[in-house]
Amino acid sequence: MRKFNAQEQLGIEAGLLPTEIQRRDFLKLSGLSVAGLLIGIGPAKGATAPEEKPFEPNAFLSIQPDGRIILFSKNPEIGQGIKTSLPQLIAEELEVDWKSVEVRQAPLDNRYGAQFAGGSTGIKTNFVAVRTAGAAAREMLIEAAARRWQISLDQCFARNGFVIRKDTNEQLSYASLATAAAKLNVRENPVLKSRKDFRIIGQSIPGVDNAQIVTGKAEFGLDARPRGMRVAFIERCPVFGGKIKAVDDSAALAIAGVEQVIRIEPTKNPTQLVAGVAVIASNTWAAMKGRKALRIEWDLPAELPESDEALRSRFEKSLESTEVLRDDGNVIDSLAKCKIVHEATFEAPFLAHAPMEPQNYIADVQADKADLWGPTQVPGSVRQRAAEITGLPPNKINVRMTRVGGGFGRRLMADYACEAIYLSKTIGKPVQVVWTREDDLQHDFYRPAGLFKLKAGLDENGQLVSWHLKATTTSRYVFAGSSSPAYQTEVFPDGFPAGFVKNFRMEYAPTSSPVPRGAWRAPGHNITAWVDQCFIDEMAQKAGKDPVDFRLELLGEEDRLMPYSDHGGPVYSTRRLKNVIRLAAEKSNWRQAAPKGIYRGFAAHFMFGAYIAEVVSLSLKEDGTPKVERVVVAADCGLVINKSGALNQLEGGIIDGLSSALRQAIHITKGRVQEQNFDDYPLLRMKDAPPVEIFLVESEEDPEGMGEMTLPPLAAALCNALFAATGKRIRKLPIQSRDRVTT
Amino acid sequence: MPTYVLNINDRTVSVDAAADTPLLWVLRDELELKGTKYGCGKSQCGACTILMNGNAVRSCSLPVTAATKVKITTIEGLSPDGKHPLQQAWMELDVPQCGYCQAGQIMSAAALLARKPNPSDADIDAAMSGNICRCGTYNRVRLAIKRAAEKKGGKS
Repeated sequence: MRKFNAQEQLGIEAGLLPTEIQRRDFLKLSGLSVAGLLIGIGPAKGATAPEEKPFEPNAFLSIQPDGRIILFSKNPEIGQGIKTSLPQLIAEELEVDWKSVEVRQAPLDNRYGAQFAGGSTGIKTNFVAVRTAGAAAREMLIEAAARRWQISLDQCFARNGFVIRKDTNEQLSYASLATAAAKLNVRENPVLKSRKDFRIIGQSIPGVDNAQIVTGKAEFGLDARPRGMRVAFIERCPVFGGKIKAVDDSAALAIAGVEQVIRIEPTKNPTQLVAGVAVIASNTWAAMKGRKALRIEWDLPAELPESDEALRSRFEKSLESTEVLRDDGNVIDSLAKCKIVHEATFEAPFLAHAPMEPQNYIADVQADKADLWGPTQVPGSVRQRAAEITGLPPNKINVRMTRVGGGFGRRLMADYACEAIYLSKTIGKPVQVVWTREDDLQHDFYRPAGLFKLKAGLDENGQLVSWHLKATTTSRYVFAGSSSPAYQTEVFPDGFPAGFVKNFRMEYAPTSSPVPRGAWRAPGHNITAWVDQCFIDEMAQKAGKDPVDFRLELLGEEDRLMPYSDHGGPVYSTRRLKNVIRLAAEKSNWRQAAPKGIYRGFAAHFMFGAYIAEVVSLSLKEDGTPKVERVVVAADCGLVINKSGALNQLEGGIIDGLSSALRQAIHITKGRVQEQNFDDYPLLRMKDAPPVEIFLVESEEDPEGMGEMTLPPLAAALCNALFAATGKRIRKLPIQSRDRVTT
Repeated sequence: MPTYVLNINDRTVSVDAAADTPLLWVLRDELELKGTKYGCGKSQCGACTILMNGNAVRSCSLPVTAATKVKITTIEGLSPDGKHPLQQAWMELDVPQCGYCQAGQIMSAAALLARKPNPSDADIDAAMSGNICRCGTYNRVRLAIKRAAEKKGGKS
């Protein structure tokens, strides 16, 4: 079986991993390597007085002689709560009072290993490593205390920022031990706490930046302001793949505050620079106006421009020559013999990410170094790109992480950072590149669009014995020129119901397009869960069975570990999947008839190691459109680190799932995106946000992520509920499509 | 460039700006009041919401010329100590995810509570549906508004 590699699955470049680790600067914690992650343990930089030393046994924490306890959060904070939950792990093992700690965002620094936000991996891949950093410090503080008291280590213990002597209850504060602990050898194999002793892990702890956020003081990328910073807006070729033919910048340069106009030529790799003209000004408004005043003639690509219709016919063509990814039994023979055969075609559109903070990035490229700020999920990629563009060595490139106003996968791409780096290098001044919302919607790396054809058969007992999927999508790996197979993160050959249907075939073919594609919250799953879970519902109906029973029957009585070669594997547990299915059914009163005028739909899905089941309850408004009344969620994401944060993430996925399934689509006409702003790319608003009830399974399993898992099943549960209400199947998203309204 | 005298957060300031400059960019670029956010530039998302004479206004679409002779309040001036009942409720209920839209949400909610100290769900829907939260914190926003209303004891 192919081993899962999170970074590869995410399409994250190797540049993220520290390739030039200077071993002598680090002390590898042997036996604690997690998913290939090297834990750099070495003293943090910074001069200190010789007598009073801060205790900094590794890059994750600093205990100051004045008593301050500073914890560093290594990954970008994009709204997933990592800046709170990772430090919780350190604080737990360090044995400090949460209220006494100060949390800081770490910069990009090789000592932290991989630093990125993607694939809901931040907690699961750091769960041991980050705790180990805290535990090492705790043991060293205990050792310092034991030496001072001249007693053995086991005669004292740590609690709430003190080392306590068991026989006398005497206490020494961490602050008073900091200088002595700093002189000790770093503990390489500290003993981690037993889960039953967790006091901070599992609590509801509010976000560490909340006070800053509610007072407007939190610094996002758009808020950073290096001295002398210029602002740049860029007019990019509206047609994908175009080039600049001619620019008339006279009107732009006449605007007060506009300083320069710079042409940006496209790089070969479309994930870096696209053709554009940048207007650089002393302030934002001047740059915005200057950009509008540009007159640009574009050199458009020679081939026929992309359109929804052209793509649709290429999808059909792609399905004529597919690759078989999985072939159990004999699906063709079986379908010929089935009592009931049913088929359906599902279509999913391109989607934009539209994070609330539009793309922006600041670069200050100087002769001997570069300082970079901004919202990114991949600071390592940004550094790599900066090294390529500037020619500076990576260790002369400082990447600072601000809070990120939403990610959703958009900021796994470093294109906007490349623009800032290129412009700063060109003009020799610090530059902030800012995108408008229109830029954001028109120059995204979109969720791949796809066409899925399904055919399935029931035997005389109503058993699902045959399942044949032929799928095509505008694979994001094909767009990025990745060496990974085109189907990866598009379809999942091991996903349910594979392995439970005797005759099962999955075929796939990528479809090319000039439209840029990237990872969008729950890549691949955000379509496959909709397709699979809608079609399961259709087959349950054909079999005359309850949709919940139909799923449970398929999964079988016996608990099994199913092979799963994708992210979240190498296996998944049918026990845990059945458990969330039953829990969601119970909590939604599925077994009782729905109240009059209320219609329900069910869906369940495994992804990234987590198990989710959802029930959508809706009513119909007078115009026939749905009003979602309630969503019930059962989630097994393993051990929960921060309950409040977990619930926030899971609920956010539901709202996002609803938002995208109901109304979102990116339409392509004449090679360009039609959608401009939130008026034609509508996001769900307060008035349409239903109550969400989440039931977390108390779990002893290792923690999984939280940020993506609840989104994929939502569209299916919603469409299944709509079928219950109207008798009509929705097989094309979005549900309230603009083109559907007219037909 | 013309000079404009503005009353912002109970301070009188004068700024030099082009006449068509939206208040948003005056706040952010000239006055370093960066709590007010840019999200869409056309009054669609509410990230830039400020109070003008107590009413919620989208500063991305308000030219600086229309912002003189009125009282402007930004998130930085909502309370002297960050302890407005809404700010407290937001922290107690751990509302934010990415946090980018939250200043705008709070300013819209502040205008609502000033007008309706005990808002109904329908009042909240009407007042808050101009503010998009891409992370989907709407249910917590709603709860926090109710919590703040309770704390104020129905007084504006």
